[in-house]
Amino acid sequence: MKKTASLLSRLKTPLVILVLLVIWELCVRIFKVKEYILPSPIVALKHLFLAQPDANYNWLLHIRITLMEIALSFAVTSVMGIAIAIGIAWSSAIKKIVMPAFVFLNSLPVVAIAPLLVLWYGYGLKTNILIAFLVSFFPIVINTTVGLSEIDEDLLDLVKYLHGTKTQIFMKLRIPNSLPYIFTGLKISSTMCVVGAIVGEFIASDRGLGYIIINSQYTMDSPPIFAGLMLVSLFGVMLFGLVAAAEKLCMPWHFRAKGSD
Amino acid sequence: MKKRGTLVGKILPKLLYAIVAIALWQALIMIFKVKEFVVPAPLAVFKSLFSGEKVAENTWWVHISTTLSEIAASYLFTAVVGFLLAILICWSKFLRAVLMPIIAVLNSLPKIALAPLFLIWLGYGFAANVTIAIIVAFFPIVLNTTVGLDSVDEDLLDLVRYLNASKLQVFLKIRIPNSLPFVFSGLKVSATMTVVGVIVGEFVASSQGLGFLIKDSQAMMNTPPMFASLFIISGLGLGLFAFIGLLERLLMPWNSRKEGGQA
Repeated sequence: MKKTASLLSRLKTPLVILVLLVIWELCVRIFKVKEYILPSPIVALKHLFLAQPDANYNWLLHIRITLMEIALSFAVTSVMGIAIAIGIAWSSAIKKIVMPAFVFLNSLPVVAIAPLLVLWYGYGLKTNILIAFLVSFFPIVINTTVGLSEIDEDLLDLVKYLHGTKTQIFMKLRIPNSLPYIFTGLKISSTMCVVGAIVGEFIASDRGLGYIIINSQYTMDSPPIFAGLMLVSLFGVMLFGLVAAAEKLCMPWHFRAKGSD
Repeated sequence: MKKRGTLVGKILPKLLYAIVAIALWQALIMIFKVKEFVVPAPLAVFKSLFSGEKVAENTWWVHISTTLSEIAASYLFTAVVGFLLAILICWSKFLRAVLMPIIAVLNSLPKIALAPLFLIWLGYGFAANVTIAIIVAFFPIVLNTTVGLDSVDEDLLDLVRYLNASKLQVFLKIRIPNSLPFVFSGLKVSATMTVVGVIVGEFVASSQGLGFLIKDSQAMMNTPPMFASLFIISGLGLGLFAFIGLLERLLMPWNSRKEGGQA
């Protein structure tokens, strides 16, 4: 009984998406919405899998480019973000100087500098990875730093009393303690990486799903836009799911505690 | 008296930082003879702002007021409708069951990718950009407010029920005041997102506004207006942020007093 309930709750999101898709398809058919305004999901998917008379995109190529941008920028963001956060947390002097700047930068609309990066580095993969990196970088650094700093003072005193070295405190106390914060940061950044890659492709690219979306907009060709949107959303959800799965693997105790509640 | 002292003490160092940073920037550009299409000198940026010349076929004022009105319109809608929707969701079990899963799904999608679609539906300009910004910034407020309305001390609820309080009273006296910290953190997240939404909207679908200006200057390799716009956009974002902070302190003085005590 309990098992079916948990299965149902796990299937809730896909079910909701499926229901929304069905409603969308029905609405388009019943109200005979014109295709350039709102194509039905089936029409959009047809564009993805079947050759079309007018606009033929090499979907596999574009998917590969976008996936590569997302994957690389997310890898760089997470590794560098966590490493820098450890550096920040290691020295309170660095923390005092750097943290206010990072919090400040995080509250700015970082995406706005995308055209500047295009001007500096030209069109293409590297620029888009850089944009996605910059957009997603600060949430990870800030979250990880907070996680590394918010330690039970009594525990810290105890370890210091036992002559624990700074490295030991980091390895045994601070880093395990920061894991929930790191994963929250990774989740935020995973969505932002996708956003960054797509906006980068809007502004400066001749390849990728963002390019397909913007290019089809010029020709008012809606089905590829929707196909592109579906794929982008899918990648976003997949990356998010990947992070959530890693979270469960890395800190099973966190979920066990929750489950017993 | 003491309050004013701390205010000056807070702003003065920041102002000094900014002045030193700008001076350093100007010096570096002059020493290393950096070309203007790479990084412009701050003086060149100021000149482009105040020379009164038209940029991207409009005066600066037109671009700034376009972006500002888009931010204001979309943020106002996001904040008010988001808050009211959250109350409805919390009020009615039926609405919650129907809407919450949809909102959770929509919130996890990269909504900014929808921008070109609104261009097709609504055409260039104000309406499309405001809609994009709303779509991008709307869900954090709804989700945050709903969590705030929900996380009420159960004992308190029992007590009030025992006293035969109406549902309306529970909302007005307990749930809504309790949700305020959550509402404000949602408002802050949405403030940045609104600015992002408006700017990306202007990148994709506009013929005026600061986002359009940035993109237009990029095509011309004309960096001074680009940097000037970036600074103004940051200023607008921070201004909105500060405004929310002020509102927060006015509406929940008890919260900021507590914070002040901790610091």
